[in-house]
Amino acid sequence: MSKTITLTINGERCELAVEGYRTLLDTLRNEAGLTGTKKGCDVGDCGACTVILDGKPVCSCLVLAAEADGAAVQTIEGLGKNGKLHPLQESFVRYGGAQCGFCTPGMIMMAKALLDANPRPSEEEIRFAIAGNICRCTGYTKIIEAIQAAAEE
Amino acid sequence: MSDLSVIGTSVRRPDVPGKVTGHARYAGDIALPGMLHAKIKRSTIAHAHIRRIDVSRAAALPGVRAVLTHETVPRVLHYGSPHPRSASVTRDQYILDRKVRYWGEGVAAVAAESEEIAEEALDLIEVEYEPLPAALTVEQALAPGAPVIHERPDNLVVEPVLVKRGDIDRGFAEADFVIEGTYELGRPTPAYMEPNVCLCQWDAEGRLTAWISTQTPFMVRGILAEVLGVPLSKVRVLVDHMGGGFGAKQDLFQTEFLCALLAREAGRPVRLEFTRKETFLGGRSRHPGTVWLKQGFTKDGRITARQGRVTLNSGAYGSHAPGVTSVGTWALTSLYRCDNVHLEGRAVYTNTPIAGAYRGYGVVQTYYALDCQLDEAAERLGIDAAELKLRNAVREGDLSPSGHPIVGHGLEDCIRRGRQETNWPPTKAKQAGRRRRGWGMGCEMHGSSAYPGIKEQGNATVRMNEDGTLQLFTGTTGLGTGAHTALAQVVAEEIGVRFDDVSVVHGDTDVVPWDIGAFASHTTYMGGRAAQMAAAEVRRQLLERAAEALEAAPGDLEIRQGIISVTGSDRRISVRDAIAPQKGVPSVQLVATATYRPTKSYSFAAHFVEVQVDVETGQIDVLQVIAVHEIGRVIHPVAAAGQIEGGIQQGIGHTLTEDYVIDLKDGRSLNAGFVDYKMPLSMDMPPIRTVILETAPDPGGPFGAKGVGEDPIIAIGPAIANAVHDATGVRFRHYPITPEHVVQAMKARSSK
Repeated sequence: MSKTITLTINGERCELAVEGYRTLLDTLRNEAGLTGTKKGCDVGDCGACTVILDGKPVCSCLVLAAEADGAAVQTIEGLGKNGKLHPLQESFVRYGGAQCGFCTPGMIMMAKALLDANPRPSEEEIRFAIAGNICRCTGYTKIIEAIQAAAEE
Repeated sequence: MSDLSVIGTSVRRPDVPGKVTGHARYAGDIALPGMLHAKIKRSTIAHAHIRRIDVSRAAALPGVRAVLTHETVPRVLHYGSPHPRSASVTRDQYILDRKVRYWGEGVAAVAAESEEIAEEALDLIEVEYEPLPAALTVEQALAPGAPVIHERPDNLVVEPVLVKRGDIDRGFAEADFVIEGTYELGRPTPAYMEPNVCLCQWDAEGRLTAWISTQTPFMVRGILAEVLGVPLSKVRVLVDHMGGGFGAKQDLFQTEFLCALLAREAGRPVRLEFTRKETFLGGRSRHPGTVWLKQGFTKDGRITARQGRVTLNSGAYGSHAPGVTSVGTWALTSLYRCDNVHLEGRAVYTNTPIAGAYRGYGVVQTYYALDCQLDEAAERLGIDAAELKLRNAVREGDLSPSGHPIVGHGLEDCIRRGRQETNWPPTKAKQAGRRRRGWGMGCEMHGSSAYPGIKEQGNATVRMNEDGTLQLFTGTTGLGTGAHTALAQVVAEEIGVRFDDVSVVHGDTDVVPWDIGAFASHTTYMGGRAAQMAAAEVRRQLLERAAEALEAAPGDLEIRQGIISVTGSDRRISVRDAIAPQKGVPSVQLVATATYRPTKSYSFAAHFVEVQVDVETGQIDVLQVIAVHEIGRVIHPVAAAGQIEGGIQQGIGHTLTEDYVIDLKDGRSLNAGFVDYKMPLSMDMPPIRTVILETAPDPGGPFGAKGVGEDPIIAIGPAIANAVHDATGVRFRHYPITPEHVVQAMKARSSK
């Protein structure tokens, strides 16, 4: 049974027909064509699919698209403006916060949600905020440096 | 070499903007019109013949477009890892077989209009098994009358690796004391963030295009062509960005063949993506196993003899077992000097998931034993462990495991620098309370390139455009380490242009020069050297042309920052002007291809760690890591440090928490997911102080550079185990060292 839902994705309102069982993650990737949001586990364990839903970071694999009807979704693609990188994105480039890059979109969205709520987090607060976002390449060292540097800007 | 301008600077990595904006395309991000979705049915038994497999109900399900079983796929015995005919890998796999050899092995595949339909179809496939007794441990597989898993009744993957140097009987006779121990090694998995994925499409001319998350696109192309019976010219493998591989994505996972065959049968593109659970079931782990090690020492700390027996559990297929066993066993000839060495390495089939290549490739296992035992010897001798290791460290001219003399004194430098950084030895804290702190250190060395197990070859093509910018064509794969950036830096440095003037073309087997793949810590070392050689030839051609314009001999010219000048004069011309079209005549094509066949170089590291052990809960926290690495020449300091920090993270993982557990009753996987397979997260990771030394550059690498990819995962394990001993007085001879083990050991001690 498909259902028509309305989502505001990165500021653009769109209508999508989705099956009742379809996750927000699959809807973003396959229906909206926004493949920046990654599928690392599809069961809410890794955080690679983190997006910001009505201001709150969520694992988009744990949200049904139908549940998000009427909501505003922010994905990694909506972060930079006019070809310019968001300070977090710039910081991840500069400080080596991304290696393979597969966790990066989710990591940056989680960091954005943190900085939106707490513009000057301590290192401990950063570590806590990204505790559900698994990175297998960096040891988190440079990710934390990147988030700290972005916060200081 | 102090006049290097691009090498040694952390230039902006061109691959990263795409990664931070979500625009970087991974194999799983590609969608094609008419694309079908495939799923694999996996066995629910560890060892059995398939008596009957009935797919009629699955095939009849609306939306199902193709179903494959062992009865309908080509029966071609093939290599599990695509290094055909090398001594490192085995040829023991079929795409699908009549027999299953571990719980979770693929037995059938379906392509359907949606993933949901494909999944539903899997449930409709009926498989009738004729169960066979299973050998789930090495002991069971080696016992008399054990179930035979492949052809060999002894269940060995290959003939044992035997190493004999000197005379161990004489060596042990010279010893003042002997230490002997058996070290048990868990089953960590690489757990790359991007699940394995493959998308296959055939065109009307019978050409296959495959987007695959693989470290070895040319090897995959070769084995796909061989097994599918098509020429290489009709197989194109594409891989742009990759979400990690850590060695394991050198193998073929049944998926690539099945995806290609389903696409051919259905006449539509087919996408096959592993679930996270399947990355455990159908993926590759590090080899679990045991290392028995016995060494003789003199009173002044010299090692007189070393005898070792390495026994690795290969799981159901051989994959990289020959290479891992050989590299791990041979590694024990080195690191700490010893003239009398006798080693034996074996790899054994069991009915468990497949072990393969994973960062550290056998050396993680054997150096854990070796380094922990040196720590034990230091305690017996009353000598500081770092001092004992320094006295015995391999040095310039010693024979390395690959048979080459060691270049430079990297290991000594690492130990010395680490001692300075930590004010070693640390003052001994009183160990009585609940939370006890301790320090430990460990050492390692690791080769760049898989030589001599694999005779390697790196190729590169460099082409100058008519505006003076350059294209580097490389077959190396970008796992995420920044290797392509490093290669572009090498080209820019060699020619004398700015980094931004060099673009890298990669990821398409139809376009770039052949490459053996990204593994064995060799991409910068080998691919970089090939790129340097090609760049040098383009530079030569360029200078020849510029010499005419400048009316000077090519040998009198130099290029800096894109400006060609005559040495000692003010005559100059930009690279752009030197190559530009003139009077309507197009620019001359400056292009060069180079081939490099490396032997081997060794990188070194010493890791110093502080831990805290809660003796009531058994919790071990790593408080800080000081990692000193000697890598010859650092090309991109941030990328190099990033790899080191990431390797330490994975090493902390396998030492303390990571273990893929197989039920010894039935071979079932018990923790195939990220909740139960516990990796270090941001809250668990300690601060890491990374120190990179460039004291032993190797002439085999570009500007002296050596590999760094695998090194950081090796020394951290024994360093932690040694620190735990320092904190608690308990010497653990296994990994992972879990809280349960600590609590049990503390209880056992207090009851004595």
